[in-house]
Order: sequence, then structure tokens, then C-alpha cells
Amino acid sequence: MSEKKLHEDQKYIDGLAENNTFIIQAIYDKFAPKVINYIKQNSGDAYDAQDVIQETIITIYNQAKQKKLQLTCPFEAYFFLLCKRKWFNQLKKSSRKEVTINEEVLSKDDDAQVLSFETSIFEHKQALFNEMFQHLGDACKDLLKATFKIKSMEEVAKSLNISYAYARKKKSLCIGQLTKLVQASPKFNQLNY
Amino acid sequence: MEEQDYLQFEAYLTGDLSQDDLLVFNERLQSDAQFKKAFEVYKDMSAHLEHEIMNEQEISDFKANLDVISNKHFNTTENSDNTIETSQKSSFYKYAMAASVVILLGFFIFNQFGKPKYEDYNTFDPISLTVRSSEDANFSTAEQSFNAQNYEDAIKAFNTILENDFSNLEIQLYKSMALVETDQFQEADMLLNKLTNGNTAYRNKAKWILALSYLKQDKTAASIKVLQTIPEDAEDYTSAQDLLDKLD
Repeated sequence: MSEKKLHEDQKYIDGLAENNTFIIQAIYDKFAPKVINYIKQNSGDAYDAQDVIQETIITIYNQAKQKKLQLTCPFEAYFFLLCKRKWFNQLKKSSRKEVTINEEVLSKDDDAQVLSFETSIFEHKQALFNEMFQHLGDACKDLLKATFKIKSMEEVAKSLNISYAYARKKKSLCIGQLTKLVQASPKFNQLNY
Repeated sequence: MEEQDYLQFEAYLTGDLSQDDLLVFNERLQSDAQFKKAFEVYKDMSAHLEHEIMNEQEISDFKANLDVISNKHFNTTENSDNTIETSQKSSFYKYAMAASVVILLGFFIFNQFGKPKYEDYNTFDPISLTVRSSEDANFSTAEQSFNAQNYEDAIKAFNTILENDFSNLEIQLYKSMALVETDQFQEADMLLNKLTNGNTAYRNKAKWILALSYLKQDKTAASIKVLQTIPEDAEDYTSAQDLLDKLD
């Protein structure tokens, strides 16, 4: 995978990561209509489509910022698969209707399948990580927020009025606790670890 | 995993393992599947926290920008789908309402030769938070309290929302409005200054509220200074100019 050539549509990924308004607008103009049509044809309305598209773009943004997402397929196929999968999952969850998604293959692009699958997993990880963070005690929450905001562990220790050695140790133990919480979650199995 | 393992994960990631420890660590990664799995989760979690917390401002800027673009896109495309009749009707009401507001404002202005007051300007549009987050009761509490001008309760609900989503700029803005309403200026001004410095869709609104906050605190010079930075394309530009004229 890593040897594959970057697709020219990487510009959309980079543009998202830079919060480039023109690129975001272009994504809406070029790629949203197909998603909207699809959702409307499958028990949804324009509001559903708006949410699905927005959430999908945020996920791509997060992945692009965090993992240097490299696109080796057309953006359209990748984006459409992501939106489609998200909509499909939402229908399943709410089961407000019998789910009848036409699995016509709209994209036979293997890379798009693989990449969009990775992004979906990434999204599930993010959601679970955030959920588990809320289960942490306040001491850990505060320490982690300070650690990643201030960067210098000396200053973190000072601001929380604890010793440097303790701050360092506490940081790993807090992330350790999160790791445990994540692994113990019933949702952990969906994360492909 | 034991405490010791997590300490090792951290030391590995920060490059603080000694040469010998590094060898042992790598070996264990190869041979111990549980160890490897826990390490992968730890590593991802660490990267996740770093991104979410370090880029808090950037992420909320992005979300705000996306929100604006998304709404613009859907309003134009979906409006063209709707019947023209309803949109004409609704725009008639819009104009009628705008006209009545102008008349009322004119009436107030005409009757008030004294200094402009905060109360002349704090007519905020109702906020709408429940469209997208209908599952969360806090959002509807916040929305209802705010729109009923029950600002103390609104602040409580905003705080609960921000606990889980501390980078939510929209909520931060509404919270700051409620804070100004309840004379909690110090926190309000701090929040608003942060919002006005960010590069987001809420920037100009925050400037307007900040100017109103200063007005309410009788800090006229500070208010004028902020009002002057509100650009022409801002929603509150006309009100800002109006207030400027009176303050000058």
C-alpha cells in the first residue's frame, strides 16, 4: 500500500487538513449531490444527508491531521463509500425502516474499499476513545489535558502543583487506564486490533 | 497489563528507553501478542489525545467553518427544491418582521436622547440547538432556557454540554451571551476574546457581543475599539455602526 502512487485527489485531503474553505466548498459542490440523492433514495432526507456528509468530512479531517492520510484512489469513490456506510449503519441502528440498501457496486475501486474501511475503523476508534475519556476521573482528565496542551512536563507539574516525576508517571498510568477501558469495552472487537 | 508496562509504553514513545531496554521491549512486541495489542491501543490513544487536545482551537475552527459551508450549500440546494410559494410567504414575513423591528427601533431611538444602553441592543434571535442533537436532553434544556431568557439555567446546561465537547464554539458563544446577560463579565470577556481571536465563523458575532459586554460595563472606549473591527459583511454590521454613531 505504502508504495502506491498518491492520487491527484490528495489535494482534497490536504485542503481539509488546512481548513481550506475553497476545497471544502468544492467537496460539497462536486461530491455531495451524489450522496444526497443516494440517501434520499434510501429512506432518508436532506437533513440526514447533511449530517452524514458533515460527520464524514470531520472524520476525514481528523484522520488527515492525525495520521497523514494518503489517498491512492479517487476522492469521489472513497467519500461516497464512507457516506454510504455511515448511512447504512445509522439505518441499522435506528431501524426505523426495514433496511434495504441496494448493494449495487458503484465503485469497484479496491483502494477505495480498503481506504474507506480504514477510515471507518478510525472513526470508531475516535468515538470509543472519546467515550472512555469521559469515564476517567477528574484528576486524570486534568492531567492529560494539561500534558497535551502545555507540552513541557516541567510546566505541567508546576501548574498542577505536583512533582515532575509524579506527573510523568501519572501521565502513562492515566493513558494506561484509558487503554484498559478501551480494551474492556464490548465495542473493542470492532476496532481491528 | 501492569503499571510497569504502561510506563514502558510511554518511555518507548518518548524515546526514553535505554539501548538494552529497547531490545527487550522490541522482543516482547514480537513474542507477546497481548503486550503488542495493548501497546497499539496505548499508542493510538496517545496520538488521539494529542490531536484532540493540542489542536482544540484548530478543530473547532474547522468545524465552525464546515458548518457555515454546509448550511450554505444545503440552504441553496434545498430551497430550490421547495415550492416557491412557501419561500415567498416566509420572505414576506421576514420583511414584515424586519420592517416592524426597524419601526420599533426607530421609536426607541427617537425616544432616547441619552447614552445608548445595552438593553437597546440585546434582542437576540432564538437559538436552535436541537435539530442535530435531539438525543441529548442538555441541548434542549439549553435551548429552551436561553430562548426563555432564563440565562442561569442556560449556563448550567451549556456547561454540561461543554464538559463533553469542550471545543464546541457555538455553545461557547451562546454561553458568553448568557454570561453577559447575567453580569458575569470576567468569564464572558475571556471567552469572547478567545472567540474573536480565532479564525472562525463565530468571530464577528463574538466581536459584537464583546462590544455589548463593554457597553454594559460602561467601558465605552473598549466598546468603540471592538465595534470598529466588525467588517462590513458581518451580520451585525448595521447595528454596530448604529451603536458606534451614538457612542462617538
